[in-house]
Amino acid sequence: MKVEVPNPVVEFHDLTVSYDKKPVLWNIDMTLPQGKLIGIIGPNGAGKSTLIKAAMGLLPLGSGYVRLFDQPLEVVRHRVSYVPQRESVDWDFPTSVMDIVLMGRYGKLGLLRRPSKKDKAMALSCLEKVGMEAFRKRQISQLSGGQQQRVFLARALAQEADLYFMDEPFAGVDAATETSILGILQDLTAQGKTVIVVHHDLQSAAEFFDWIILLNMRLVATGPIAEVFTNSLLQETYGGKLTVLSEISELIKKRSVPSREKY
Amino acid sequence: MLETLKAFFSFSDPSIVSVTLGAVLLSASSAVVGTFTFLKKKALVGDAVAHAVLPGICLAFLLAGNKNPLFLLLGAFITGWISLVLIDWITARSKIKEDTAIALILSVFFGIGILLLTRIQHMGNAAQTGLQSFLFGKAAALVGQDLLIFGIVAVLLLCTVALFFKELKLIAFDEAFAQATGLPVRGLNLLLTTLTVLAVVTGIQAVGVVLMAAMLITPAAAARFWTDSVLRMTFIAAFMGAFAGLAGAFVSYAAPSMPTGPWIVMIISIIALFSFFFAPQRGILYRQYQQRKLQRQIMEENVLKELYHLGEKDKGAHKGRTIDDLIKERYFPEKQLRTALLRLRQKGWVERQNGHWKFTEAGQQKGRRVVKLHRLWEAYLSTYLKIAPDHVHEDAETIEHIITPELEAELEHMLDFPERDPHQSKIPY
Repeated sequence: MKVEVPNPVVEFHDLTVSYDKKPVLWNIDMTLPQGKLIGIIGPNGAGKSTLIKAAMGLLPLGSGYVRLFDQPLEVVRHRVSYVPQRESVDWDFPTSVMDIVLMGRYGKLGLLRRPSKKDKAMALSCLEKVGMEAFRKRQISQLSGGQQQRVFLARALAQEADLYFMDEPFAGVDAATETSILGILQDLTAQGKTVIVVHHDLQSAAEFFDWIILLNMRLVATGPIAEVFTNSLLQETYGGKLTVLSEISELIKKRSVPSREKY
Repeated sequence: MLETLKAFFSFSDPSIVSVTLGAVLLSASSAVVGTFTFLKKKALVGDAVAHAVLPGICLAFLLAGNKNPLFLLLGAFITGWISLVLIDWITARSKIKEDTAIALILSVFFGIGILLLTRIQHMGNAAQTGLQSFLFGKAAALVGQDLLIFGIVAVLLLCTVALFFKELKLIAFDEAFAQATGLPVRGLNLLLTTLTVLAVVTGIQAVGVVLMAAMLITPAAAARFWTDSVLRMTFIAAFMGAFAGLAGAFVSYAAPSMPTGPWIVMIISIIALFSFFFAPQRGILYRQYQQRKLQRQIMEENVLKELYHLGEKDKGAHKGRTIDDLIKERYFPEKQLRTALLRLRQKGWVERQNGHWKFTEAGQQKGRRVVKLHRLWEAYLSTYLKIAPDHVHEDAETIEHIITPELEAELEHMLDFPERDPHQSKIPY
């Protein structure tokens, strides 16, 4: 099941990605529409995070390419925002909430320039959007999981991007935070921005997203939720591992096989 | 002693000025660079570089035939830099993990360095005397041209960190985000590597190869105890480093047989130990004090709770109770019970009348709240977590002391002000 779109915001072309020499994504080929809240769904180890990291150029591509806004990443980087997994950073780092949100401005600032008053006002308004302005001077280690997630979201908003890749923004948040985060993401898509979210809870996925990507080392399906969120496709994603695919991956890692032949 | 201090701080002797200035600059600049290696959790890398510069120094000497500091610096810089590149390469390309790679590189490079140094010392070349001072440092040699060169490098380091402060902070906190946002992360990492090597190369003049890691990491580790801001941490580390440099120079001035470098390291270590114990919030003593305060609060609340229980039993909320009554209701060590009661009296929560302790109005309210929280939590556990009534008491014993007024309100609301707890005791409101 694969629904293609005209004028895609994101295009994956025959993408193969390895992690520590082991292929975790095989031949991902799809196009994604603009202005939608898109969920990437799949079991543990399906390569969900790998897919968005590859799109952000954080991992070397084995083969294939990714185009954003019909251009290579390097050209449109300032229009793209990335929210890493909450656990990927050390929250005991000596810095304040405001400081983290200001980091969202660094890309626009470029090297050597310091954040201006305007940047600070902008960062503050982003904190207001996520309801964390009262915490702006707080040291980040004092935040709860949901608050950390909202600070990361504020930092992404400060980037003023048109396309957002988010790695598990709903992980470890309480029900109230979940609703408020979802509201913010829906606001973004209402403005014509595209939000692509790695998500692992099937139940809420059905309520959250407009468009679903089902992933399990390969692309199982991509399309509007009504067409993709079906029992048989979910079964295909979650049930029955493709044992041969995993075994080949292990073999490639063990023997350090290059992902593409040289000539 | 005072005389020596006076003589030292009058800075009338130009060689004192130059040694002190050198020690201060070198210690401060390596502390500033070290702050970022520390924040990137690469503390051991500094140690590896420090050891890896030795072969470079020896090779430069062999090639140049003299101790021109520029040549030695260059040699040190090259092998120090190669060592870091090798560590990264080994970690990326082989199954060897980073800690092993660091240990490997450190020992191999240092071994080669010692080998070359021994060889040089046996060459009988008069110019080689003093080369071994790179092992343990010789701040006293920081005069004239040497000071100028090392001073310039130190100032250069400080300026570079100031210029790239926001970028260095970001790659230390969240490298993936930095890369996604389009910052030249590889270049910045290379910059930090270069700064680390430069800091080591200049610092070894003062404290030597073996102690250099302490100059990079200890001020940062100590500074971390005093602040929650990277900027302030960098300044505090620089200040601590500078102070250690100054103090080290003074010690070796006051007692000429004392080596400057090791003293600088001693002093910065004492500062670190002091921070470890006495810093507010993060220091061990502060934490222990907080723990004790909590223990005392728990003890007091338990006593109030038992007074309330006794009152519930015989409907005498304000009746006087003896120490024995209380201990019979629930065991307390007698001595601690007495001191807790005295503290409670000071707070105006209990009164004593001829050997009997009884609630004041405020104390009774307080006791009632503890009992309420205990029973509310039991009710919550059995309603929401489906825990059997005979398993909820122990947990509530702890939780009753930490529930905040907000959580209290939420529990009341969620459970809709239940009348009784799972043991059918009435919940007092």
